[in-house]
Amino acid sequence: MTQFLQQMVNGVVLGAMYGLIALGYTMVYGIIQLINFAHGEIFMVGAFAGLFTYARLPPSLQANPLVALPLVMLTAVVVSVGTSLMTERLAYRPLRRASRLAPLITAIGISIALQEAVRLFYPLPNGQLGAKSPVSFPRLVSGANLELGPVTVARVSLFVVVVAVGLMLALQAFVRTTRTGKAMRATAQDPDTARLMGIDTDRIIVVTFAIGAALAAVAGVMQGMRFVQVDFRIGFIAGLKAFTAAVLGGIGNITGAVLGGFVLGIVEVMATQYVPRGSQWKDVWAFVVLIAVLVFRPSGLLGERVAARA
Amino acid sequence: MISIVAQQVRRRVAPVRVPLGAAGALLIVVGSLTPWATFFFGYPGKVTLAGFPGGARLYPLLLAPAAVLVVVDLAGRRRGGLTAALGAVAVVGWNVLAIAKDGGGFGAVAYGGWLALAGAGALALALHSLPADRPVAESFGRLPAPVELLALAGSLGLLLVVVVVGLDIEESSRFVSFAAFVGFASAALQRLGGFAWLQSVMERHHRVTIAAAALTALAFPFTQQGSSYWLRVFASIGVFAAAAIGLNVVVGLAGLLDLGYVAFFGVGVYVGALMGSAGRTTYQGEWPFILVIIIGAAVAAVFGVVIGAPTLRLRGDYLAIVTLGFGEIFRIAANNLDWLTRGPNGIAGVPDLALGNFSFGDTHEVLGFSLPAFANYYFLELLVLAGAIVVFTRLNDSRIGRAWVAIREDETAAAAMGINTWRMKLLAFAIGAFLAGAAGTVNAHVAASVSPDSFTFLESILLLAAVVLGGMGTVAGALLGSAALFILPEKLRAFQDIRLLMFGLALVLMMRFRPEGIVPSRRRQRELHDEDGGAGAMSAPPAAPVAGRGAS
Repeated sequence: MTQFLQQMVNGVVLGAMYGLIALGYTMVYGIIQLINFAHGEIFMVGAFAGLFTYARLPPSLQANPLVALPLVMLTAVVVSVGTSLMTERLAYRPLRRASRLAPLITAIGISIALQEAVRLFYPLPNGQLGAKSPVSFPRLVSGANLELGPVTVARVSLFVVVVAVGLMLALQAFVRTTRTGKAMRATAQDPDTARLMGIDTDRIIVVTFAIGAALAAVAGVMQGMRFVQVDFRIGFIAGLKAFTAAVLGGIGNITGAVLGGFVLGIVEVMATQYVPRGSQWKDVWAFVVLIAVLVFRPSGLLGERVAARA
Repeated sequence: MISIVAQQVRRRVAPVRVPLGAAGALLIVVGSLTPWATFFFGYPGKVTLAGFPGGARLYPLLLAPAAVLVVVDLAGRRRGGLTAALGAVAVVGWNVLAIAKDGGGFGAVAYGGWLALAGAGALALALHSLPADRPVAESFGRLPAPVELLALAGSLGLLLVVVVVGLDIEESSRFVSFAAFVGFASAALQRLGGFAWLQSVMERHHRVTIAAAALTALAFPFTQQGSSYWLRVFASIGVFAAAAIGLNVVVGLAGLLDLGYVAFFGVGVYVGALMGSAGRTTYQGEWPFILVIIIGAAVAAVFGVVIGAPTLRLRGDYLAIVTLGFGEIFRIAANNLDWLTRGPNGIAGVPDLALGNFSFGDTHEVLGFSLPAFANYYFLELLVLAGAIVVFTRLNDSRIGRAWVAIREDETAAAAMGINTWRMKLLAFAIGAFLAGAAGTVNAHVAASVSPDSFTFLESILLLAAVVLGGMGTVAGALLGSAALFILPEKLRAFQDIRLLMFGLALVLMMRFRPEGIVPSRRRQRELHDEDGGAGAMSAPPAAPVAGRGAS
């Protein structure tokens, strides 16, 4: 029982990460029906950008998480959003009227290019160029583990869940209540009509990419904090699983992405723990879930229907 | 913004176009006869000599005749000439940079290099100021059959020369200038209408073309003097190309994005390797290879149906992600299922094929030529490739092929026309998997060993890139793309580190500027570039496309 509860907690932490990244996929897909393959790389770039700032802070500030953490997060968000917007402007927007295959292929190209750019040109703290092997990352949120009855929770894990849930709620509020949020919903429903109603859909698309990238950047920094290292390859698998979470919840649906993230995180942790030799297949469970969802409920847990928009 | 500047420059240059162009051409000629480097520091290609143009200095000289267009203005073929002139700029520029890098600064560059660079630039400016291309009707004169056949033979011979010369260049930097020359020269030729004419000739004499191509391919091992290096590379290209043609059915014809295609190939490889070695160890005998190929292909096709059946009912994007997932599952499964795949170690020592007493592993003497082991696999590979090509072209010309294209263009409309879209898509997916499986079984014997690491996501992307870069929906495109993706890394070893970065950017640029690939299918070319000629050009306002080009 203790083990089960402990794994449940681990699953929730993992799920919070997936959900945070999945939001970027689901919002972009909801608005322009594009699987933004480069989103996982935006997440990775965020982690590296945060590390860049941290490594250049004086030691006194490094030791003070109240200063270091916001600075790290801020750089991560700024760099990720910048990268994402540049990608949108140069690789996706020119192809908006092209065949559906074209932006998918450019997205893969961007994804490879971003990975390679970090691998070859990331300025390491020791002055060398290129993060060819994993780079160590500060824990930032440290302190003794919390003991909740039989379950142990690391402070970082608590931080991850609190930040992720907070950001998800904030996003919900933004989309539900603000004018821009309303415009986003309108554009997602019908871009042509939205444009006729005077909505600058190009701007809305940019805002969507920016929000997704910011969330991914925060997730990237938290990933670094959890594993105390980052690698240029982390974006690929994380992106895939987050996409699965988005599909699981019903793509285009913000609450769905969050729910999908948590469900996927818990399923993955449980399967790894309880299926014999499950840990060898750690990265397979997500795809099994994905295929199962597409077979039995392609609209996802919360999606109403899979829109067949021509 | 950029287009406005370009417009201004054009207006200023136009009055002095002819003297500028002539001066440019003259400078190129002088530049190609004078030394480019001040001293010899191992930089190859005789760039220090005066007199006879050698090495890279030959290329701008060959591109300079574009200057004639400045005066003649052949029916508004501005872009063709401009491409040639830009090619000269690129070749000279690259060499100047390379000389400066090797010689430790621009002081190492001799006057000839600067003259040629200035000349190429002047020529490009002059050609840039020509009036915009006028749409040209696509009517090509029929010449007497012997003349056309001669032109055909000549161009195939030229192609062979280009391949032989290209393969012979060892040094990366020299290969870049050669590749730039070939690339720009062929682009210029294409824009001047040369390829379109050649294509129409090929279509008129397609039997001769196919026979000539087959003969050339068959003759290749006899030119290698017993060496197996390039035979090995070409046998691998053949495997890769056969798989790429299979993927082309899925992506190019039916428009389905498959990101885990290498898994189907891998299924074939494992079937081939397991049956090959199992046949030797357990039964002391052989499975007939033809049976192994069919089994490998069929198993792959079954996987294709299992993956495709649920996902193909949905929008295409889901297929992309599910196939990606399947590719990863396959790799992880190959790593973990030790009892079947021997895990991460893979299966080594897959035995050579044998047909009766003819072992594929031995060197054979044919007509006094000694053919190494890889020649046998090369021939086998040609056979498989030919099979894939036949399947592809016959399907493409059939009712099924037209149904696929209809689905690719508009699924809803295709369904309304009575096409069972799900079944057709599933068929495309299964045939693609079948061809990949067949190529895979052969590859098990060509490579002689298997390991799960050969089936990563990147391999799937490389296959996809071969199709996309070469040209979606064409056989020639898939062949060219596969060959390029194999030969370029061999030749550009000096740039090995940034290879993948360049590859990623190339995918983006290709989609942005030439989505139909190097060898486009005619239908796609018309769809994507209305302004380039053909029926669509007649209705398009002539000035608009040029302004658009300037901006990009």
